[in-house]
Amino acid sequence: MSAPPETLLTDRERVRRLLALPGVRPGLAERLAASRVAMVGMGGLGNPVALYLAAQGVGALTLIDPDQVQAHNLGRQILFAPSDVGQSKVNAAQRALRRTAPNCTIVTHETALRAENISDLLEGSDLVIDGLDRAAPRMILNRWAVASAIPVLFGGAIGYEAQVFGVRGGKPCLYCLFGELQGADEDCVVAGVLGPVVGLAAMVQASEALKMLLGTGQSMVGRMWTYDAFSLKTRMVSVPPRRDCPVCGDGR
Amino acid sequence: MSTFIVNGEIREVSDALTVGDLLDRLSVSHQTVAVMVNGAIIAREAFATESLHERDAIEIVRFVGGG
Repeated sequence: MSAPPETLLTDRERVRRLLALPGVRPGLAERLAASRVAMVGMGGLGNPVALYLAAQGVGALTLIDPDQVQAHNLGRQILFAPSDVGQSKVNAAQRALRRTAPNCTIVTHETALRAENISDLLEGSDLVIDGLDRAAPRMILNRWAVASAIPVLFGGAIGYEAQVFGVRGGKPCLYCLFGELQGADEDCVVAGVLGPVVGLAAMVQASEALKMLLGTGQSMVGRMWTYDAFSLKTRMVSVPPRRDCPVCGDGR
Repeated sequence: MSTFIVNGEIREVSDALTVGDLLDRLSVSHQTVAVMVNGAIIAREAFATESLHERDAIEIVRFVGGG
């Protein structure tokens, strides 16, 4: 019998330390390999999350982003090289991820998330990572998260601050917390952003995604993690559902 | 002067009778924050009318939207 291809041997080894964790049962590598995670947005959040999920043995990633790589992205969108500037983000990310995990199945959609295409884009995903940079599509994603009951890990970062919030079918959802979020968009052009702080939010998203896929540890659903690198303050806030929430409440 | 537990820390704040007053004293915008008082979410429309009491535990979470 011939030896298995080198990449398959590598894939068996890449999850060895993961499977040694307390609470992780042997055999769960197959569950990771059979999982599909959708990344909505391949910017400062989507880049590091995709890199870690591919490296840790997640079998399939869906990358969704309409944008091209710009030079000012390179400080925090760490899959991209100067030679990628001007090219599609999802295609450039796919090339980088193939080096990391050749057997990871990567599907790309060079499009923006809208109410009309969200079901087609995200159907069949086991979990969704929010890597968006605007409030309006986040609210579309939140409505879909409540309706579909597929878990979504929302993330955000600006300035020195990062946050992550888990939604699974609502009660609570992102709307319970923030309402309509009209005029909520702050611009990184004005506010600035510390590159690794976006990465911190991404690392919390990636850790929680792997925990959810493996079914281990406490769940971040209904909890908001926040970190302020300027004042060195971190919090985990339990969010109660709002019964009158028009998205996930009793009267919807 | 009232004593509140704001984001897990004890704060002395003057003239804060409502959630809206407290946000103003702390120079926090009303538009993009979630406020929980003793574990219950306060709708933004109720910030001006929701009364605060001595030792209330208040969590203020600002929406952080970049990515």
